[in-house]
Amino acid sequence: MIRMLLRVLGHEYAAPMRRTVALMTVTAIAEGLSYALLVPVLRALFGSAPADAWPWLVAFGAAVAGYAVLRYVSDLAGMRVGTTLLRGMYHRLGDHLARLPIGWYTAGRVGEVSVLASRGLLAAMGVAAHLLAPFVAALVTPLTIVAVMLAFNWQMGLAALLAAPVVAVIQVRTARSTAAVDAERHRRDHEATGRVIEFLQAQPVLRAGGRAGERFGLLDDSLQEVARASRRQVVAAIPGALGLTLTVQAAFTGLLVLGTYLALGGTIGVAETLTILVLAARCADPLLSLSDIGGKLRGANSELVRLDAVLRTEPLPEAVDPVTPLGNGLEFESVTFRHGDRTVFDGVSLSVPDGQRLAVVGPSGAGKSTLLQLLARFYDVDAGAVRVGGVDVRVISTEELMSRMSIVFQDVYLFDATIEENVRLGRPSATDTEVRAAATAARLDEVVARLPGGWTTNVGEGGALLSGGERQRVSIARALLKDAPIVLLDEVTSALDPVNEAAVHDGIERLMAGRTVVMVAHRMRTVRRADQVAFVDGGRVVEAGSHDELLRRGGRYAEFWELSMATVTGD
Amino acid sequence: MNALLRAHLGSFTAVVVLQVIGAVAGLPPLLAVVELGRTLLSPDPVDHGRIWTVVIVGAIGLLVRLLFTATAAGIGHVLDSTVQLSFRRQLAAQLGRVPLGWFSRRRTGELAKVVGEDVSAVHPFIAHAPGELVSAFVVPVVSLGYLLTVDWRLTLITLIPVVLAVAHVPLLMTPRRTREQQDFDAAMGRIASSVVEFVQGIAVVKAFGGAGRAHRRFITAADEFLDTFYRWVRGVSAIAAGMQLALAPPFVLLVVLIGGAALITSGGMAPADLLPFLLLGLGLTAPVAALGHGFDDLQAAGRAVGRIQDVLAVPALPEPAHPVAPRGHRVELRGVRFGYEADHEVLRGIDLVLEPGTVTAVVGPSGSGKSTLVQLLPRFFDPTHGSVVLGGVDVREISAGDLYDAVSFVFQDVRLLRASVADNIALAVPHAEPDDVVRTARLANIHDRILELPRGYDTVLGDDVKLSGGEAQRIAIARALLAATPVLVLDEATAFADPHTELAVRQALSTLQGDRADRTVLVIAHRMETVVDADTVVVLENGSVVESGRPAELLARNGAFAAFWRSNQAIGADPR
Repeated sequence: MIRMLLRVLGHEYAAPMRRTVALMTVTAIAEGLSYALLVPVLRALFGSAPADAWPWLVAFGAAVAGYAVLRYVSDLAGMRVGTTLLRGMYHRLGDHLARLPIGWYTAGRVGEVSVLASRGLLAAMGVAAHLLAPFVAALVTPLTIVAVMLAFNWQMGLAALLAAPVVAVIQVRTARSTAAVDAERHRRDHEATGRVIEFLQAQPVLRAGGRAGERFGLLDDSLQEVARASRRQVVAAIPGALGLTLTVQAAFTGLLVLGTYLALGGTIGVAETLTILVLAARCADPLLSLSDIGGKLRGANSELVRLDAVLRTEPLPEAVDPVTPLGNGLEFESVTFRHGDRTVFDGVSLSVPDGQRLAVVGPSGAGKSTLLQLLARFYDVDAGAVRVGGVDVRVISTEELMSRMSIVFQDVYLFDATIEENVRLGRPSATDTEVRAAATAARLDEVVARLPGGWTTNVGEGGALLSGGERQRVSIARALLKDAPIVLLDEVTSALDPVNEAAVHDGIERLMAGRTVVMVAHRMRTVRRADQVAFVDGGRVVEAGSHDELLRRGGRYAEFWELSMATVTGD
Repeated sequence: MNALLRAHLGSFTAVVVLQVIGAVAGLPPLLAVVELGRTLLSPDPVDHGRIWTVVIVGAIGLLVRLLFTATAAGIGHVLDSTVQLSFRRQLAAQLGRVPLGWFSRRRTGELAKVVGEDVSAVHPFIAHAPGELVSAFVVPVVSLGYLLTVDWRLTLITLIPVVLAVAHVPLLMTPRRTREQQDFDAAMGRIASSVVEFVQGIAVVKAFGGAGRAHRRFITAADEFLDTFYRWVRGVSAIAAGMQLALAPPFVLLVVLIGGAALITSGGMAPADLLPFLLLGLGLTAPVAALGHGFDDLQAAGRAVGRIQDVLAVPALPEPAHPVAPRGHRVELRGVRFGYEADHEVLRGIDLVLEPGTVTAVVGPSGSGKSTLVQLLPRFFDPTHGSVVLGGVDVREISAGDLYDAVSFVFQDVRLLRASVADNIALAVPHAEPDDVVRTARLANIHDRILELPRGYDTVLGDDVKLSGGEAQRIAIARALLAATPVLVLDEATAFADPHTELAVRQALSTLQGDRADRTVLVIAHRMETVVDADTVVVLENGSVVESGRPAELLARNGAFAAFWRSNQAIGADPR
């Protein structure tokens, strides 16, 4: 557990963590040892000279004071270490997430990581702040008390000690037997969350289908599975909890019987017997709390395991000696790229000279967008090379590479902030005038004028309060503001109706002027003005050349062109 | 909510009773030690038989405790999963009833959290609180009663730690602490939403990311959270430490021993009477400890219950008390006004008649209110003023069943369920014949594609395969074809991945529009041929109808529609 914690954290935290655990252990031992003083106190009080108890009581008082100080210091240390760990962890996870390749972020991952980074992290780090001290105390204090018993009466001490291995075995076995059901519960919870989100997002359709009133079967099934998994968890935890209680109680009963027997036989003083029984009662509570703490620790541990898995995912390697590209020409040289077990590209070669425009055309699923993503190094190729300004993107620093590119995606994600802030993301150092100029160029000013709060309107989560066309204009304004020499356009006008398309047309023209452009497009008429067209299908460049050349060739591109012209002008 | 809990009152009572019996049964073993001490310490000769009886009674007490607490915990946890399931079902049912407009102002993630985590957070309320809290009070009260009969002075002294601990409680409840607690919760919320943004916007983060500022928002939120956390902890740590120390067993024992020693040395108490205080005295702190221990969890559970209740309290979209069946399927919009927010109207007085057997095309710039307008028909929202009338009846007077038997729709943002293709098509007609499903899929131009899927019509979408936008749209068209309603609302797609897909969808759409001669069709048109073929064109600008009529008439009028037409032609006829 601690080892896992340290691995997740990084070893710079090992020393403070170890110090804290040591402090907690010392505190627990101090508590146990202080009870040793009960024996002389009670011997005096139960004996013929009760006043002899006072000096011992003073000693006990001093021991309690010492324990109090230790406890305060170790609690505080636990809290401080916990907070420090948490801070370190947030930064580490944040840095790591920013470095992971975009390809890693599938739809399911997004939800998973969100939960992990908010509550999961807190639960995992809670180990140091809240769970470790009670756990150490629940283990170490009873053991110390048993040692004290051994010192005063070996028979009773030995009897108490017998319980220790049984308790240990039960703890270990419980951990093992609950691991599977805990994982199952986590999986069911995850699945149910997915179903709830689906249920929420599909409300219009479900209602129109008359399905919202009745129980929605798919959701209800997954909710039932959660309930079932939670019951299985209860069942799996019962033997451990029962076994622990039984053991502790059997030990206490054993001590009671043994103590009575020994006292009646006269082998041990009455005061000693009674003190040991008082101490045995004192052991029971912390031991019984072990099953509760153990469950919480296991919960935290499974979060740690998930964190560890994320942190051990390798980001794309950064060049040790980054090279700065000199120009902005782009080149794919025999690029092979696999995604999972699917080969997306197989030996693709293309080049775009500095300042020219390449249009990528092809049927859906041909991997057109992936070409752009390889240029921006969202993924690394499996063979061949992608070059910018003649330099392999893998030896350009991420910062340098990104500073050279403006990317306008098909689906625009906006942050839940004002329109202005979203535009400014393109270049945080831009002046207000520059931001407004870029917005005007993207004809975003029309949108802003219509919004209730103008520039300061919050766009909602993911930009939900704007229409697709409006979001697109924000993203173009962002790219204009960034003013990078390379522009990647991913089906930019695809989601726009003709009016919106006309609106963003100027913006895009401005964005492309004098820059190296790669655009994925299926509005065939936007393709026509590219210097070069590449028709991609089946992981290969099937045809490449200028629009006119390809039309003359009468191949796949020409067929696409005919079809789309028929679509535009009507039957 | 209360009604829900009341349904399980029997189980709750059983848990509490079993738990209390179990907890009280924990006392005899301790009392056995007391009796043992009294007998052994008394100067009289030892009665062996009595001693062994005492030991046996103690052992039996332990066994009873074990059985009862274990049973209580088992029932409590099973009850917990049952109650959680019914909470979730109730929430799902409620979310299926609230007006759709309500969702647009909520984050899906937050609502999902209410159904998921918030219900889970109720766990301590259900599984632990009833039994454990009650026994945490019953056991000390019983012990206290017993101790009072032994020696009232030492009983009072034994209570000193409890009083000390309780004295700390008001310090934890000051307005400042409450505010810090709220800050803490708010900071926690910010961290959650910033991480969602960070992860969902990762592509943007990367594309514009300098190493430092890419995830600045996340890190800032995390740092703020920790600062708040630290402030809060620093504020309470001294108080909490004082409280914990007062309740710590060594301290309680010290107090009891000092009091006991004073009483014994002054001859005011028999030494054997000290024993019950040493054994039971610690238990007196249980209520305070239980409160402190579970307090955070219970508070969190309380807040979660609050959020659950907030969702359950949202008024459902009103269902008519006396539903009226529509007569025919002529649709009328009478003076319809609507705004998502009170001060911002999206539709500003729309009057429109849709005759059966006609196609009405709505055109207009983005943000003109087209999507909102067509969503009023299937009653995603109710107008704030005016009415939507179907077959002579206000849609608010029509039962949901009748309404959706009459109106179906295909919108751009097609939402497919993670279910089989067949189930997705038969969504509105759950008991459709497989043959009909296949027939409509053919008509929608998607049958061949479905057969290419790994398990044909049984392929589970999302799991086995992900469909493209154009394919999803054709599934939605098949869905509407199968429903075969007399009124159809369409939001035409603006773009497709490739010309082949576009052609397939267009053909499917014309099938859909033509398969019933008397169908009333309202379509948001993006393509000019749809507009040209329509019987009526309605031009919407800024929430008002600026022009309407036959396409040819409007073109001749040379107004808004003509301008729209020309802008389209300009794009379509880009210089060759």
